Amino acid sequence: MWWWLLPPAVLAACLAAWAALRPDRDRNVRRRPVAHADRLTLLPEYQAALRRHRRWLAVAVLACASLLVSTAVAAARPIDVATTRPEQHNRDIMLCLDTSGSMSSADAAVVDVFSQLAEEFDGERIGLTIFDSTAIQVFPLTDDYSYAREQLKLARDAFDGRPGSSGFLDGTWSGRGSSLIGDGLASCLNSFPAAPEQAGSLKPSTGQDPGSPPRSRSVILATDNFLSGEPIMTLVEAVAMAKDRAARVYALNPGDLDYGAGRDQPGAQLRAAAESTGGAYYALDDPQAAAGVVRGVEETEKSALRGSPRAVVTDEPGLPLGVALLSGLVLGVATWRLRP
Amino acid sequence: MTSLLHRVKSNLAIFAHRKARGALDGEYGSVFRGRSLDFDDLRAYVPGDEVRDIDWKATARHGSPLIRRYVAVRRQTLVLVTDTGRNMAAAARSGETKKDIAVMALGVMGYLAHRHGDVVGLVSGDAEGSTALPAKGGEAHLERLLRQVDSAATLDAAPSRIEDQLEHVARTVKGRNLLFVVADEVPAGPATSELLRRLRAQHEVLWLTVRDADLAPADPSLQPDRTAGDSYSVSGGYPLVAHLARDPAVAAAYASAVAERDTGRTTMLRKAGITEGEVAASQGVINALFALLERHRRAG
Repeated sequence: MWWWLLPPAVLAACLAAWAALRPDRDRNVRRRPVAHADRLTLLPEYQAALRRHRRWLAVAVLACASLLVSTAVAAARPIDVATTRPEQHNRDIMLCLDTSGSMSSADAAVVDVFSQLAEEFDGERIGLTIFDSTAIQVFPLTDDYSYAREQLKLARDAFDGRPGSSGFLDGTWSGRGSSLIGDGLASCLNSFPAAPEQAGSLKPSTGQDPGSPPRSRSVILATDNFLSGEPIMTLVEAVAMAKDRAARVYALNPGDLDYGAGRDQPGAQLRAAAESTGGAYYALDDPQAAAGVVRGVEETEKSALRGSPRAVVTDEPGLPLGVALLSGLVLGVATWRLRP
Repeated sequence: MTSLLHRVKSNLAIFAHRKARGALDGEYGSVFRGRSLDFDDLRAYVPGDEVRDIDWKATARHGSPLIRRYVAVRRQTLVLVTDTGRNMAAAARSGETKKDIAVMALGVMGYLAHRHGDVVGLVSGDAEGSTALPAKGGEAHLERLLRQVDSAATLDAAPSRIEDQLEHVARTVKGRNLLFVVADEVPAGPATSELLRRLRAQHEVLWLTVRDADLAPADPSLQPDRTAGDSYSVSGGYPLVAHLARDPAVAAAYASAVAERDTGRTTMLRKAGITEGEVAASQGVINALFALLERHRRAG
């Protein structure tokens, strides 16, 4: 930063050294001349004392030089340029859980994982929507993690079928069918804040403060895609909406009931839908495996949503100033030892 | 420039008021006997005169001691030998320059000789060469000798080597003379010892040592020149670190080395039959000379 300070510092040090070392004609003016000085200087005791004196002088000179160098370096303000990929903490995650009877254990696992993840969240927003024939928003996207944990615990109790928790699922069944996935996904997508601040959009939004970065959106969709009834929106329409809103859909299917590899099988449809949004599809044999998968999803999300590399410039005065302090201490000790 | 001899005389005058007037003359006269058998006259006794010079008959008649004086047929020659190397421009124990003390001692001795009617010559120099000024009488000549010593002994002079001057004397000075050597603390050595024996066989030799500066005073508070901190060597100009010399171990080692050297020098001079005196300050010159002459007279 202030690198130009170093040449003047070197120049000043050279000038000082020259002034100190140049032969001084008058250096003996204040001293008295004595003869037979070798009678003193050749004494072994004097030689030993002189060696000690010289050692401390050398220490003092070294400490002085190191003090000068380190303070000059510190004055030049060394910087550390680090390239970091800031981890995004501006994700919006919507849990979209099918509450039809076959799904409850997978839902419980998903909810369990997220209630644990919520402990580590910092800036992420999480929301929960449950659906069967009708979608209910249990809680909207929020960063009030204690509240989210509380609600997730309630949801878990309900999915586990604990007594007294059945009211949690009230309103998800209206008799129009079951597992209306298209409607459920569309409801989840609707709980993201309205456009225009879509992920990846560089246009400053008018509703939000313009400085805040765009937030990524992902939907954890747990369903077996076993549709019964007439949805208002089909899965394909809902997925188009997700693509429109730049939301990734991660689909978890705990009960893959596909027969063969046909494109019209429910699992294949769900896979195509999820992958078309940039998300992924996971078929689970065991509902309890959902926990591991959700963690995997969470991790991929995290790395996929890493920000672009940024050069971070920080002052690094610690090392030179530390060396300067140390040199100062050594210099003090040496000066104390050298005092007449 | 004030006359160097004038300074010597005022110093002598102060001394003469303190001690018995003329005592030094008596000492000098009895040391450097230059009498013939031709009686000249009588004079009053002064302390220091030889008892055997007293004219007892005249004393009995007169009531106070009288000394017989003879006509000196042979003028004594006093040869002043000193070192004018750069060592003499260094500090003495009192903090004065050793040269000043040497000039004072040479001046007193030369003036005594002059008063006694003797002629005074000078051999001085350093390691590069010796200068000999012929023996003559008169105050002007004595002043010239002192000027020669004073101007030659500077910090730019060559290193000191009193042995060269002594050898010069041994080589060139003929006849039996009185040698008065002023030097600093000369180390004892077999060559020097041999040279001194050789000189003593020919001449009457008096030796005055000017004490060198104490480089490692055992108790710095007792040092007369306490403000003088650091010193530098006249040979080479390198500085001595004063507080290193203040180290008790260094001071003790230095003191024992000095004592050993002093013993060696005293022994060497005594064995050669030379009387030695020592002086540390110019105020002490006359007392030191008095003691030296007295000792020499006693030693015979």
